[in-house]
Amino acid sequence: MKKSSPLLKTLAVGALASVVVLSGCGSNKENAGSNASNGGSGSADKAVNLKIMWWGSDVRHEATQKALGLYTAANPKVTFTPEYTNWDGYWQKLPTLAASKTLPDIMQMDAAYIQGYVKRGLLADLSDIDLSGIVDEQVIENIKIDGKVYGIPLSYNGQGMVYDKVALEEAGITLPTNNWTWEDFFAYAEEARAKLPKDKYPIDDLRNIWEWYQFYQTSKGLGPIFKDGTTFNLDKDTWFEFNEKYAEFQKAGIVPPADLQLSSKENDPQTDTFGTGRVMLRGASVGSATAIEALLPGGRIAVNSYPIGEAGGGWAQSTIFFSVSEGSSNKAQAKEFIKWFISNEEAGKTLGTVRGIPINNDILQSIEGSLTAGEQLGIDLLNAAKPKALPFYPAPAGAEDFVSTYKSEMESVMFGQNSLEKVYETLVEKGKAAEAKLK
Amino acid sequence: MFGRKSGSGKRFQHNTAGYLFISPWLIGFLLLTLWPILQSLYLSFTEYSLLDSPVWVGTDNYSTITTSDRLFVKSLVVTFTFVLFAVPIKLLFSLLVAMLLNKNVKGMSIYRTLIYFPSLIGGSIAVAALWRNMFGLEGYINHILSWFGIQGIGWIANPDTALGTLILLNAWQFGSTMVIFLAGLKQIPKDLYESASVDGAGAFRKFYNITLPMLSPVMFFNLVLGIINAFQMFTSAFVITSGGPANSTYMYVLFLYEKAFRQYQMGYASALAWILLLIIGVFTLINFTVSKYWVHYEAEGGKSR
Amino acid sequence: MTEKQSSWKNHLLLIPFSLLMIYPVIWWIGASLKSQTELSLPTLWPDKFMWENYTNGWTYSSQYTFAKFFGNTLVMEFWNVLGGVLTAALVGYGFGRLNFRFRNFWFSVLLMTLMLPSQVTIVPQYILYTKLGLTDSYIPLILPHFFGGGAFFIFLVVQFIRGIPRELDEAAQIDGASVYGIFFRIIGPLIKPALYTVGIFTFLWSWDDFFAQLLYLSSVEKFTVGLGLRMFIDQFEVQWGQLLAMSLLSVVPSAVIFFLAQKHFVEGIATTGIKG
Repeated sequence: MKKSSPLLKTLAVGALASVVVLSGCGSNKENAGSNASNGGSGSADKAVNLKIMWWGSDVRHEATQKALGLYTAANPKVTFTPEYTNWDGYWQKLPTLAASKTLPDIMQMDAAYIQGYVKRGLLADLSDIDLSGIVDEQVIENIKIDGKVYGIPLSYNGQGMVYDKVALEEAGITLPTNNWTWEDFFAYAEEARAKLPKDKYPIDDLRNIWEWYQFYQTSKGLGPIFKDGTTFNLDKDTWFEFNEKYAEFQKAGIVPPADLQLSSKENDPQTDTFGTGRVMLRGASVGSATAIEALLPGGRIAVNSYPIGEAGGGWAQSTIFFSVSEGSSNKAQAKEFIKWFISNEEAGKTLGTVRGIPINNDILQSIEGSLTAGEQLGIDLLNAAKPKALPFYPAPAGAEDFVSTYKSEMESVMFGQNSLEKVYETLVEKGKAAEAKLK
Repeated sequence: MFGRKSGSGKRFQHNTAGYLFISPWLIGFLLLTLWPILQSLYLSFTEYSLLDSPVWVGTDNYSTITTSDRLFVKSLVVTFTFVLFAVPIKLLFSLLVAMLLNKNVKGMSIYRTLIYFPSLIGGSIAVAALWRNMFGLEGYINHILSWFGIQGIGWIANPDTALGTLILLNAWQFGSTMVIFLAGLKQIPKDLYESASVDGAGAFRKFYNITLPMLSPVMFFNLVLGIINAFQMFTSAFVITSGGPANSTYMYVLFLYEKAFRQYQMGYASALAWILLLIIGVFTLINFTVSKYWVHYEAEGGKSR
Repeated sequence: MTEKQSSWKNHLLLIPFSLLMIYPVIWWIGASLKSQTELSLPTLWPDKFMWENYTNGWTYSSQYTFAKFFGNTLVMEFWNVLGGVLTAALVGYGFGRLNFRFRNFWFSVLLMTLMLPSQVTIVPQYILYTKLGLTDSYIPLILPHFFGGGAFFIFLVVQFIRGIPRELDEAAQIDGASVYGIFFRIIGPLIKPALYTVGIFTFLWSWDDFFAQLLYLSSVEKFTVGLGLRMFIDQFEVQWGQLLAMSLLSVVPSAVIFFLAQKHFVEGIATTGIKG
């Protein structure tokens, strides 16, 4: 049994190794400690280190870090510890940071999530930042939560529609026009069905997406599904009318069959029904414009507004913000930085459109000459959406269960496994349960 | 769990040595693992959004889950179906492949690596794209079906076939189970087979009388862990189907994950986790109890071959 | 049946089977060379080979190339594997061979830690490491491997040890070996195939353990390959070509390690042990 000696050696190396690991751990601790003491200082002219976190793509990371460098160059007392990841990772990590009470001083926020954080008192009131001349007053008004500003908007966003202009023209289909009605929208779908090849479809079947129906309901002036963010308000007749229309469309082959539809992942070049040329027209947000342009490049895409009703249609509003943690001991410096971030011209040039169309019109004008096709598409979408835009109605924090039930139940309807009546009952039950929690 | 009586009857107590050897795990457990586990148990009796402090709610979470949560039932049905099919298919498949790869054939290392490859990419984010491509409407599978004049469907987009596809994906990534079988097979002394051949035993007899009993500790391991892992199946349901369509692949742990990190109901999710622990625990206990009748340990002296 | 015939038969079975298993990887290679627009086509190979998916992907992050991420991951993996193998061997021997008070109790506890979904312990764990001041370091990722985090592997080694005839220990015992001597001289060498299995699985699984890496590593200079890959995925847009190219590269170390290690874990005691 001479074999044992290598194993012994490994063990000895291992013992040594653990010592190295443990000593490495010691030095790391020191680093962490010094960071914390930097971050802890409160007074304005003391050196501070701001922890800042955002999600996004690499272009955004690079530009933002450059901008942070600019700020430190101008204000040597303020340094940054940046942290960034992608969208999914960000929303997995942020709640964990909240749980361990280590939220960064400044964090990027999204309209779909901000309410939940505000509700729990995690974000500082930023109403005292003077944004006059930087951000449009109406924009600020739109994003207030309980009358206060918790996130400083960084860019414009909005929801319009895109369509494959080349394909529609080739098939001789009447092109959609801005501010068309839902009736026009449905009529377009019927006309296009008759003129398109069999394996191409005029519109998507988005019955499983609760927002898609909500657009229909709000455009008719009936308010969002959760009125004022609390009262359950699914209009029975409207909901049935809408879904029966789609059921009819599914039978007539106006929308794709359910399995094709559910294979589609938005903006995924392999499966997106619009990107693969299977569906001619769909909704698109300003923020996703670059991705959509990349799907069908070369100017094939034209934009249009959402279908509207008497109340309007679609939405246009800021959805990306910078927020400051309520627990931050450097609020004053953080606020100062955020104001600089959206108003400084040099910063604006450095940042370009990495967070969408800049919220500050002066900055937008200064970079307008250098926009890419995708960015231009975003601006076109915003312009199409703005005139009749309704407010953005995210699902209130607490209605998540309703939203996911909506999706799965409607999917079973799309596959003919469930009836509308039954689904409606389930939805009312879930909606009422959410309402009880929201009040 | 080990059976109290020793076969040889000469078993000594080795308290110091025993605790010394398990000390890495024991220290780690007491210092790093125990507290989070106790926390999750405590949290299961609270309402905890992660964003603010937990609020004690007694057994509310448990009673809501067991009495009125439709998704709990749905995800249990999906998960049990998955366990019922995925575990035996994977075990059988990996045992067969392990026996095939146990042969002395030229270039075997290359075959082994090729066959193991799918399991290497199991956690890669590219897998989602891969499977959407293979099982998509215009994917590879439908392409092959079209040679036989069969009109394909969107396999992962159809509630009737999505779960089946995930079970297949799970079987395709049989590598780790297979490798453990392979290592187990290699541990069987060759002379056993040689003497059996001398006695005139055929291939089936050898398999039944030598391979199966000698492999039984490893098989038991694969079975126990296969069940535990199947109950905790998460990644492919998360990246490939997100539980859809129409919740047909809504696995239990996916449900739990969404409660915890999407809906910020960590208390509720913790209660779900402890219910799952209970379910898996019952299965494991049954497994250990039944194992006395079929798992053969050399160490315990065991039944004679 | 002659030796040659049977070998030929084996190849006949193995070649198509390997191809079937590997097909998706061939698709992957093809797709990693496609442009974003070509990806939607059902073809296996692109018309125009985009080798720049690899070069651009490698340098995608503005601060560091993937070389940095690979380096980081490999260093972390070295410790993980070392810790995983050592702990599994020691603890596995303790549970598998030694008889001590409350052994069954502790072993049940060990199994229990496998049954609780990690999704609910990860947050309390994170809070624990935050309090220890160990976030943004590899320690929370490595430390558990040294302290029995791999309950799976301990159980695996236990099962292997229990398959080893006890006569061997007893013979050594008669020769005057202590329990420690038995571990180092007899059991240790005999469970080498199992330990190779533990090593490679530790390597593979911690390579994929994305969620923990996401939580514990925040500065880019510490990023692992897994975190680097996520940079290609944005909210609306995924750089598929580059993502597929880099994720293909990311499995190369695993494949190489597997290829090198697999001879060892299958050349078990059948060839080196008992016979000698």
